[in-house]
Amino acid sequence: MIQGKTRIVRELEKIVGPNAVIHTEEELRVYECDGATIFRALPDMVVLPATTHQVAEIVKVCHREQIYFVPRGAGTGLSGGALASQGGIIIGLNRMIRILETDVPNQRAVVESGVVNVWLAQKISGDGYYYAPDPASQTACTIGGNVAENAGGVHTPKYGVTTNHVLGLEVVLPNGETVEIGGKVLDPPGYDLVGVFVGSEGTFAIATTVTVRILHKPEAVKTLMGIFHNIEDASNAVSGIVARGIIPACLEMMDKLSIQAVEKWAKAGYPMDAGAVLLVELDGPKAEVEALADLVVEVFQAQRVREVRVAKNDEERELLWKGRKAALAAMGQIRPDCYLQDAVIPRTKLPIILKEIEELSQEYGLPVANVFHAGDGNLHPFILYDGRYEEEIRKAVELGARIMNRCVEMGGSITGEHGVGLEKQDFMPLMYTEDDLEAMMKVKCAFNPDQILNPGKIFPTSKSCVEVGQHKRDRIRYEPHRIEKEGLAQRF
Amino acid sequence: MAHTEWIHALEKVVGADHVISGSEAGTFAVDGKVPQAVVFPSTVEETSSVMAIASEAALKTIPWGAGSQMALGAIPARVDLVVALKHLNHLVDHEWGDMTATVQGGMRLEDFQQALGQHQQYLPLDPPFADQATVGGLLATNASGPRRLFYGTARDLLIAITVVHADGTVTKGGAKVVKNVTGYDMNKLYIGSLGTLGIIAEATFRVYSRIAWEKTWLAPFLTLDHAEEAIAQIMDSSLVPNALELLDKAAARRVTNRASIGWTDGQYALAASVESVAEEAVDTQIEEIGRISRKVGSPGGNLLHDEPHHTFWREVRDITPGTNGTAPRHLRAVLKGGVLISKVADAFRVGEEEAKAQGLDICIVAEAGSGIVRYYVSAEDRSLQQFVEGTVSTVERIRSTCEAQEGSLIILEADAALKTRIDVWGPVKGLKLMQGIKERFDPRQTLNPGRFVGGI
Repeated sequence: MIQGKTRIVRELEKIVGPNAVIHTEEELRVYECDGATIFRALPDMVVLPATTHQVAEIVKVCHREQIYFVPRGAGTGLSGGALASQGGIIIGLNRMIRILETDVPNQRAVVESGVVNVWLAQKISGDGYYYAPDPASQTACTIGGNVAENAGGVHTPKYGVTTNHVLGLEVVLPNGETVEIGGKVLDPPGYDLVGVFVGSEGTFAIATTVTVRILHKPEAVKTLMGIFHNIEDASNAVSGIVARGIIPACLEMMDKLSIQAVEKWAKAGYPMDAGAVLLVELDGPKAEVEALADLVVEVFQAQRVREVRVAKNDEERELLWKGRKAALAAMGQIRPDCYLQDAVIPRTKLPIILKEIEELSQEYGLPVANVFHAGDGNLHPFILYDGRYEEEIRKAVELGARIMNRCVEMGGSITGEHGVGLEKQDFMPLMYTEDDLEAMMKVKCAFNPDQILNPGKIFPTSKSCVEVGQHKRDRIRYEPHRIEKEGLAQRF
Repeated sequence: MAHTEWIHALEKVVGADHVISGSEAGTFAVDGKVPQAVVFPSTVEETSSVMAIASEAALKTIPWGAGSQMALGAIPARVDLVVALKHLNHLVDHEWGDMTATVQGGMRLEDFQQALGQHQQYLPLDPPFADQATVGGLLATNASGPRRLFYGTARDLLIAITVVHADGTVTKGGAKVVKNVTGYDMNKLYIGSLGTLGIIAEATFRVYSRIAWEKTWLAPFLTLDHAEEAIAQIMDSSLVPNALELLDKAAARRVTNRASIGWTDGQYALAASVESVAEEAVDTQIEEIGRISRKVGSPGGNLLHDEPHHTFWREVRDITPGTNGTAPRHLRAVLKGGVLISKVADAFRVGEEEAKAQGLDICIVAEAGSGIVRYYVSAEDRSLQQFVEGTVSTVERIRSTCEAQEGSLIILEADAALKTRIDVWGPVKGLKLMQGIKERFDPRQTLNPGRFVGGI
């Protein structure tokens, strides 16, 4: 609970106006959770600034009063990052929605962080350009949120994730100071603050404007679907595509359970008895796309593909994508609730992990459907359960943990694009040692020394910035052996 | 700790034959400052122990890869110890099916490429002197080359890293998968940090397959205006060259001469390299690039493929200052500017003008599609003082032009005499945050003190 809440509400209203401060419980409910609905926390208030200056003024109040605050975009995040999990103020950036500049000759755009991802694409489409990162929530999620989470999407095998496209930021530090880092021009001198900021899940500072790279649209796009008898063949086809040096724009896979759910729901024309479906999108110069498509079909055939469908026009392309896009909605038919996992494995391990997930699914008695970014080994097991039964919730969470464990054991990662947030902080030690985490903490503390910004996220244990690096020297300093100390022997 | 004590401590860790001191250490001088000792660890553990000793003995320590880029950076505050990484040079793994590979920091890029080549894969980084540079060194300096246009730079290729910190702590960041958002992206922090935060002990990269077909269209231009228009049109098209390089007249003459390509002097050159799995895709793009070039005034052009293509790009990459690369070392400087893509030609103009005004020789080469401009400044027969005066003025002029366009200019290589006169890095945004990071990573200023931005 914030001390002197009424006084602070009044002060914030002076900064942003009375209709931009939310403090009644009914209205605050909207901000109680994000896309990871299993986590809930009611903020003390929500402020909706419209300018960087207002953000800075709000943050100065928080800093002065040492009130926790959390930035929030559209709230579509999937790891609980945009929750005021320890109370305090949510700073919603949904009124910072101006596209400040589109500089087509220099292939750059500058947007406020509340701009919705797809708006930018729409704005520059007429000039023949687009913004590559396209998370599934792109019609709702904000570019500021994408920066926080280092959002991915389906075009990542060829075009990378958000970090590969963000070049500059204007940020408000937790002391209220506004700083510009990076910019439109490449290779600014100094540490790559922008690089380490992207994916910091709103724990460094609040990004208020974002400078991004925009790309010229490719000459040609070709979408192919391979329908396979079983998941092993489809997995091997993924490895085959990668091994041939083909870099598809997208390479998505759906397993049997997903195909059946999706087909019942969306009628995209998938055979109900198919073992797996691969969706491949190739883009680039026309001649290259044609050549690559032939190679992909060859790889498919080598894996006994049952059927290959090639979209001849946009309409057919949409149809091929229809099933993929309907996946999440379709899962509701199987079980009312869904716990979406996001672990990553080296691509060649796909057949192994998918088999293990199948076994785990049987062991726990919960259906698991797989619809995922095969091209970069980013799994999305949909663990399906019924939230009315405590036992099923427990099982779903445990099953998810088992999958993460196995992925890390195979050299992978616990999250490919959804972030750690509240969801996976306890799993951080699977991948990182205490020293690894401490190095990360040091960067955080350089930005956010009081940790009033977005506390209690990412790290498994909370440590103050004063504690970070404290006992370190004792631990690793050269220790003379006891026999040296006692003068029994000398090392030098 | 007394001098002999820490030398013995180091010998104990790496063996007496892996520590040199006294006059032998002279070849490891940085900006003329000779270290008291040079130590050659062979493992990550040894490197960690070496740093624990260095930190304990308060030794100002400089990591050293192949030494090919040691001229980068401001003059170090003090040099006690050089940690030379040439024995930390093993390939840790090459998961060719996953297209990832892990190397130790002291491995030469060329050796790494050879290992990857066994599976027709490679790391698409082509920095200057790629045949000497070590992987750790090129990461620490964020070195890049022409292919960055398509493949990006180290920040787009590095997926995991192991670092030995100033106090000997070993940490890792990232994972051996191409997509990962677990925790902060520590890879980015170390790239280009010039060894001020830690020693890069291991690095894991996303690697690529060699592509079957690659050709270059080399278009001559009589004026910068025409070249500028060609760049703009190529960039604003669906063409996907993997490199687009603009060379001034001097650079064009030298590179074509060395690569034995027929060339008429007095012309700028715009080189566009295109690759594809399909020869037809290369040819249609090359044709289109040729058509655009001719349309805006290019009087001809050369198609390069196979050996001449490779030689050409190697020569572009390895340009050194001086008309024949013969200028005395102290009369050379290499500058790197970053500008908006549309201002590359302007960056050439200001460089040409200023060098002429100062009576200096200059070669200018740009990654035109990325807005990265390299200036190779030299003089054959001037006094050091004259050269320094002229170069300082040149740097100031070009720097102010770059900055006016939201860019920057750094000095990649110069004699210490020049570095005492002008900040090699120029102004830096977010410096306070950078200092805060350095303070937390290396509170005793052990690593590379004074060489990086803002006195870091």
